[in-house]
Order: sequence, then structure tokens, then C-alpha cells
Amino acid sequence: MSADLDLRLPARAENVIVIRQAMAGLAEAAGMDARRVADLKTVVTEACNNVVLHAYEEGEGPIEVSAEIGGDGLEVTVRDEGRGFHPSAADAGASLGIGLPLIAALSDSFAIRGGAGQGTSLSARFALVPSELERGEPQPAGDELRMQVSPGQLVRPVLARILGALAARAEFSFDRLSDTMLLGDAVSHRRADDFREGRVEIAINDGDGTLDIRVGPLAEGAGERILSGLDIPGEGGSLRALARTVEVERRNDSEYLLLEVAG
Amino acid sequence: MRSGEVGLERNDDGYTVVAINGEHDLNTAPGLRSHLQQLIADGDPVVVDLSTATFIDSSILGTLLQASRDAGEAGVGFAVAQADGAEAVTRVLEITGLRKDLPVHSSRDEASAEALRATGDPG
Repeated sequence: MSADLDLRLPARAENVIVIRQAMAGLAEAAGMDARRVADLKTVVTEACNNVVLHAYEEGEGPIEVSAEIGGDGLEVTVRDEGRGFHPSAADAGASLGIGLPLIAALSDSFAIRGGAGQGTSLSARFALVPSELERGEPQPAGDELRMQVSPGQLVRPVLARILGALAARAEFSFDRLSDTMLLGDAVSHRRADDFREGRVEIAINDGDGTLDIRVGPLAEGAGERILSGLDIPGEGGSLRALARTVEVERRNDSEYLLLEVAG
Repeated sequence: MRSGEVGLERNDDGYTVVAINGEHDLNTAPGLRSHLQQLIADGDPVVVDLSTATFIDSSILGTLLQASRDAGEAGVGFAVAQADGAEAVTRVLEITGLRKDLPVHSSRDEASAEALRATGDPG
């Protein structure tokens, strides 16, 4: 499928509104409702802000944006040719470091690809109609955060930032925040072939002082392998104790690891 | 006032309304930051009105939160109002939790009362 919209501009702050408006126009023309257009504008803006602020350490480079409309959704991809994805507290600056959590919260799914010196691309998908709900597929909660990341070095920084933001919002204590990050680290280090689609998929629901984390769909037996990986060799202990509940669930012929952590 | 501009309205009661109009993002954040820093340095209570804003991003949220902290440390009243909400503005305030943290008042009158009350009341 070829892109329905391709943009290439210098990565400057004044160009972000241009990209945002172009995407809004495309989405409205495709029939997206006003609320989702608003979400799309925020996601595209935050992705472009990352490029403007962080991609090119010296000088200037391009920002490329493409959008494809197909089936029941719109997928937008923001690319740069910069230094790779290096989220850090120092980089967050005045934006509070909430750009990525906003992208995660407002898109139906998103993925980040790239590496040091290879540039970075961030893709986000938006349903044009609430078709997933209408189809009656499992939808744990309307506010669920879903992330997809290529296995490897990107998983840990992305998941850590998201868990950190959600745990802070849920007012976790420092100790419980640390426990949550340890569990996130353990999940981050899984191999690509533990995941059925070869991509790390994690969904998070934040409730009343708790985070429900769903990892998967997983390859057959991967849930138990991840659980075993939480055990501490020779100590008789396990990181499982850091979660309120840990279980492996089968649903629609797929395996999921479910973790509940409380603040 | 055009989209992307900031309007300053000095009120007879002694506070200044900073009206955010249209779309604001990384490109307009430095101008907004400069206005807010100057007002706080001058000791003027500030009401930021988001009622006519149609889009704000994380850089604007960061600017408002920093101004709120600076004003608190300086003992200068600072409050945010949003009487009507553009979808994009309402969504980011709710999802980030900043509607509660700033906090955002549902009318300019409520916000100005808070800004005047907090002036001279550091912390």
C-alpha cells in the first residue's frame, strides 16, 4: 500500500503546525470523528517535537511524515535521519517528558523503530470508526494503553517511561514504583521469539491505585518462560512477589502474561 | 487576535489575563514563557485563559507548570481558566492529570479569585 500523504520538511518548530494541519485535513477527509482527529493532532505533534528537539544534535535535518489509509484505520509514520532514540530525563526539558506517554495514551497502537545512527521512525495507528468495539473483540477498557515495540534495546526505555508516568499518576510510593520498574525490566529483556508476532506487545490499564499489565499475544509456552525468568537463581526468591497477582491466561488461542501491581 | 498569538489584558482588580488563542506548540512556547516570566517577575497575579485555545502540546503544558511553580515560589498568584474546551486541549489536560495539578478552573472569575487570593501567600 502506497502512502496517501508524504511530507518532507526541515525539522524546525515552526513546521510542526504544518504537519499537524495536513494530517488533520487528511483524517477529516477520511471520515475520522473530531475527537480522534484531536488525538491524532496531539500524537503527530509530539512525534514531530521529538524530532525537532532531539534528532539532530548539530545542524539541521529533515522530518518525514507519511500517512496511509487502509481498511478501517489511518497509520501515520514520523521519521528522521538523526542520532537515534535516546529518551532521558535531561532531554525532557520543558515538555515534562510526557510526549511519549501522550502518544501511547492517545493512539490505538504505536511502534518505534530505529537505533543509534540509523534515525528513528515512530508509527501510530488510529481507527477511523470504532470498528474494534463493534466487532466485539476483547476490549478490557476504553482507556487501555497499548504499545508495540521492536524487540531489543528500544523496549526498556519506552516501557520504563510509560510505567514511570502511569505509576506516578497513580501515586505509587517510591518503593512500589521501584518494584514496578523491576518487573518492567524483566519483561523488557525477553527474546523476540517469545512474542507471537515477533514484536513486543504490552497493554496497560491504570485503575484505582493499580496497574494491570498484559503482555502478549505470546508464543506457546512463553508465559511460563517469562515467569521462570522472574525467579532469582539460588536465592529461592522471585520477582513474582513484587506483583499483587501474576498469571498466564489463554484467550482466543493466544497466551498472555497478566501482572497486577499496586501502589 | 490570530491563532498562535497571546493576548494580555490588564484587569482593574490588579491581575493580568494571558489569553491563549488558537493553536500553540513548541514554536509559540518561548513567547508564552517570556510573557509569563515577565509578569511573575513584576509581581502581577496571572490568569492564563485557555478558553479560546484550540490546541496545546506538551511544551505548552510544561511552560504552564513551570510558571505555576515559579509564581508559587515568588508569592505571585497564578491560575488557569478554561470555560469552554476545545477537544484537543481538554483531552491532554485530562490524560496528563494537569487539570487537577495546575489546577484548571472552569471560569475566568474562579481563576482570578484564586490568583488574587494566592498573591502574597508563598508556597
